[in-house]
Amino acid sequence: MALTKKKEITTNEFDQTIVGTSLTKEAWKRLKKNRMAVIGGVIVIIYSLVAIFADLLPLYPYDQAITSHRNLRPSLTKTAGELMLEQEMKNLFFQAWRQGRLVLTEEEDAQIEAWVAASKTNNVWDLVYERGTQALENGSFEWSASEQRRIDNILEDIETETLITINSVSAPVDGQMVNIEDMDYETLITLYASLIGSDYESVNQSMYNEVSATVTNELRANDSSLTGEDLTAAVEMEMDAMGEDAFQSRAIQNVIGYIEQLAERGASSDINTMITSGGAQLPYRGVFDLSNGLHVELEVSRMHDRRYICGTDYLGRDLLSRIIYGSQISIAIGLVGTITSIFIGILVGALAGYLGGKVDYYLMRFVDIMYGLPYMLLVIICMAIFGRNIINLFFALALVSWLTIARMVRGQIMSLKNQEYVEAARSMGVGTMSIIFRHMIPNSLSVIIVYSTIRIPAFIMQESFLSFLGLGVQAPYASWGSLIGDAVSSMALYPYKLIIPSIVMVIFLFSMNFLGDGLRDAFDPQSKNQL
Amino acid sequence: MTKYIIKRLVGMIPTLFIIVTLSFFIVRIAPGGPFDGERALPEAVKRNIEAKYHMDEPLIVQYGRYMFDVIRGDLGPSYKYKDYDVNTLIAVSLPNSIILGCMAMGVALIFGISLGVLAAVRQNTLLDYIPMSLAALGLSIPLFVFAPFLQQVFCMTLGWFPTTGWFMNDAPLRTMVLPTVALSFAYYADIARLTRSSMVETLRSDYIRTARAKGMKNSTIVFKHAMKGAMLPVVSYLGPAFAGILTGSIVVEQVFLVPGLGKFFVQSSFNRDYTLIVGVVIVYSVILIVMNFIVDIVYAYLDPRISYK
Amino acid sequence: MNKFNEAKVLLEVRDLKTYFKTDNGILKAVDGVSFTVHEGETVGLVGESGCGKSVTNLSIMRLVPSPPGKIVGGEVVYRGTDIMKLSEKELRNIRGNKISMIFQDPMTSLNPYLRISTQMIETIRLHQDMTKQEARERAIHMLKLVGIPSAETKIDCYPHQFSGGMRQRVMIAMALSCNADLLIADEPTTALDVTIQAQILELIKRISAELKTAVILITHDLGVVAGMCDKVCVMYAGRIVESADTDELYANPLHPYTRGLIASVPKMDGNREERLFSIEGQPPNVIDLPPCCPFHPRCDRTCEVCRHAYPPVKKTGNDHYVACWLNCSEEEIQEAMKGGAN
Repeated sequence: MALTKKKEITTNEFDQTIVGTSLTKEAWKRLKKNRMAVIGGVIVIIYSLVAIFADLLPLYPYDQAITSHRNLRPSLTKTAGELMLEQEMKNLFFQAWRQGRLVLTEEEDAQIEAWVAASKTNNVWDLVYERGTQALENGSFEWSASEQRRIDNILEDIETETLITINSVSAPVDGQMVNIEDMDYETLITLYASLIGSDYESVNQSMYNEVSATVTNELRANDSSLTGEDLTAAVEMEMDAMGEDAFQSRAIQNVIGYIEQLAERGASSDINTMITSGGAQLPYRGVFDLSNGLHVELEVSRMHDRRYICGTDYLGRDLLSRIIYGSQISIAIGLVGTITSIFIGILVGALAGYLGGKVDYYLMRFVDIMYGLPYMLLVIICMAIFGRNIINLFFALALVSWLTIARMVRGQIMSLKNQEYVEAARSMGVGTMSIIFRHMIPNSLSVIIVYSTIRIPAFIMQESFLSFLGLGVQAPYASWGSLIGDAVSSMALYPYKLIIPSIVMVIFLFSMNFLGDGLRDAFDPQSKNQL
Repeated sequence: MTKYIIKRLVGMIPTLFIIVTLSFFIVRIAPGGPFDGERALPEAVKRNIEAKYHMDEPLIVQYGRYMFDVIRGDLGPSYKYKDYDVNTLIAVSLPNSIILGCMAMGVALIFGISLGVLAAVRQNTLLDYIPMSLAALGLSIPLFVFAPFLQQVFCMTLGWFPTTGWFMNDAPLRTMVLPTVALSFAYYADIARLTRSSMVETLRSDYIRTARAKGMKNSTIVFKHAMKGAMLPVVSYLGPAFAGILTGSIVVEQVFLVPGLGKFFVQSSFNRDYTLIVGVVIVYSVILIVMNFIVDIVYAYLDPRISYK
Repeated sequence: MNKFNEAKVLLEVRDLKTYFKTDNGILKAVDGVSFTVHEGETVGLVGESGCGKSVTNLSIMRLVPSPPGKIVGGEVVYRGTDIMKLSEKELRNIRGNKISMIFQDPMTSLNPYLRISTQMIETIRLHQDMTKQEARERAIHMLKLVGIPSAETKIDCYPHQFSGGMRQRVMIAMALSCNADLLIADEPTTALDVTIQAQILELIKRISAELKTAVILITHDLGVVAGMCDKVCVMYAGRIVESADTDELYANPLHPYTRGLIASVPKMDGNREERLFSIEGQPPNVIDLPPCCPFHPRCDRTCEVCRHAYPPVKKTGNDHYVACWLNCSEEEIQEAMKGGAN
């Protein structure tokens, strides 16, 4: 009876439908009316899904660098090989124009000179390529022998070069096959030493040298003014600061790379015979057991058949894949940072608001003083000095961003403190913590959630800002900020490297902001547009 | 009023003290120091250098010595730029940063407030939509995307402005345009949104209805009656905005090669140039604290309900 | 018998309609209100919260916030000119000058960021050709008139330095500083203490008599009306259901709602054991109201026709108007039933 009654539409004396209203339902209704917020929400969901399921997407590995694919422009239709050929021909046409063999009209000559002076290289290339191909077709231009040879070489490479992707390598340890990625540092070094016929100590030493060489390069890339003694000193400091674990994880990356190379080399002769005999259709997936005991699962594909929708970066890595994996990191930092700061903020704010008195006074004075700090600067110092990894980044950002939440929660708690239901709970003997966390926090949750949505873009921006300065996410990982930071120096020549990640990032921030605004307007229609 | 100002001035001291202490110890507890790597030097020479900079003393003595120097206004010698002291380095670069920051803040305030008021008065018209879409864009485009973008469009493609530099070529003022625009955009966005919403709210308030009922002109209502109240949230936003401009100027200085303080700051953090790091942090903090102080005074001036006690 | 009935008509409101656009539909806040105000007369507008009293008066001044509100029909004739047809500039000349308003909450109705002197002087100089000094003297004079002690110094204070009652006095002084013909007082005492309420009402009464200002007093308090007004209009759900001279209305209430209101005023000489009368139920939601008497669910004398049509306004006595089927003839009821059946 009661159930059926609930389903009926209630009307009053005037046959007006009476709709029960709950705060969340009303808010939801308001949110759904805000078209920009809904679009923003959908976009945010799409981004999150792509980031979460990035591993399931048919992407090239984000850290796989193919030297001959460096700086390829984005193209939907052309394969990497065709782009390589195009780029080579652009170069050759330009040289031919310089040598006077490719004849253009006088205006075009003047135009090219002007472009060269303004360093608009892309325009020059496009023009000579267009005119050059026309000239080739109507027979007014022919390649010289050496040029023809270069083009033939590329064509041959495109035809024959294969790319071997190692899916997994295992080796026998104590009679069992173990994947090398699961091995600890010592086992791995021992294995590698036995593979190349060396001993543990010397391999260990050469690993140390390698890592310090990488560090040297990184430092030099960050600050070109470092030379000589200063550089050596900085490297030593960096190595000391790195610590054993960080060093080992870097070294393990390197050794795994070497073992995979060994495995690849071991399998390559078999593969080559297979391909030349025409026994395999590319791409080919196979398993090989090598004579040195390694067990390899790999995939062979034609290297230059790849298509780069978003182009490649300066190391020949697929930009699309880097952007998607970068989104993963950027969004994760936004989320984790916000959650951490909310957690600290709620704790401090709730304590200050509920306990009041001296606790409140000192906590809030502390927050006031922290507000006066130029905290981004402190984050920069911390990142520069304590090392640049993602964990430090989380810490540094979360540590300084809980202040506003703490203030907000405190205000909420103070106003809830005198509400009847809290007094009722207290009069029934409910404990302080229980009152705070079971009664008060849930009641201020909507405000907190709305505020957090607004915070996420700010976090992402801060992370990107640090990455842009070279203080955030480090290679081979990427984030939106580091992708943009890498692209700025070469933006004249390769604008797509700057434009594509920027657009991806801006769209996300845009949607996030609209969603946040919509949520705030929906849940808290009285509020001012406070920041 | 005077009493209030003095009280606020005294209140700045602990904040400054904490900032100096915090940055002093953060840079020093980190492993490695500016001279650690100089192995090529004989031990005795190294010790001499350390003694020269008093780095052989216990940390607490170094701290005391440093605090004493700071109070006298001496930020010490730079460890890396060996011929300069920190005061000189800051004196050379700070004016550029201040000019850039003030220009950006000014531009952001002028455009943000005027367009925000316009949008509030002409709600749901083009005059509302255009500035507000621009503001939404400004909120979502990070500075380090916007600055290179400006460079790409206005320097490379259109060639209207010099790519980089600061007061260095034949048209010095033109070098300032792009850095200022880049730095001010995000703050324009915030200020315009804030102004619009608080203006809309104020225009709905009872005392504006009273003013209407008195037969006041719309323009008088907006500028005489609503402006003061509507500006309060904007004024209190200015404190955080200055902090943002300080950090933002680091990016702008890097992209447009402005010889400002931001560049020193990032470099000195990498170099572990202790005195320079702490020096720059102190300067930034003083700017920030003074700005917050001014903001509070302006707020108190605008809102008669705030008592100076 | 109302002594003002012979006086010149100052303001005539005819079939005023003000609608609000909301998320759930069109809200008919004021739906065909008509009444007249004569020179020097005090008219009371009585009704429950949300019945459209305030919107009626904001509409008279064209102060309804738009959007969402819109005056969709009717005329407001002030001394022969229709306010609805005036240009913005002509309208400004009437606002604050000929017709003034004071509002419910004196705490928020004065601009907290400007001195009292600034706010008063600007009003006076807006409508009258005076120098700053003259305007200031006029303002001080007005403040003294409304009983602000040491007005010469208090005039330079900010509103937050005054108490609620004092602020309402300032509002009254400001409203009347240009010798307005008509003062619209929108629940001027609701936000004040009971003792202050009496003072303010007394002040309005005294000063309107002194300056010969007509007053529209909006209130939900019938006791106030009895003491102050010459004529009363009772509003319910956006319409005037009964209007009459005060004495006539109290002596001979015709609409069941008016009767209920009068019965629910506590009486000092009443039986203490007796329960206070109250009208059961809630006023209706005026969005998409079907054609019917909006009071019928709460009425103790409902009949069939009440559910089908809105009752016509009937003149029953000397200046006594009522909109209730009880006062209609059988033919009219039959007619309405047929119309409703169609």
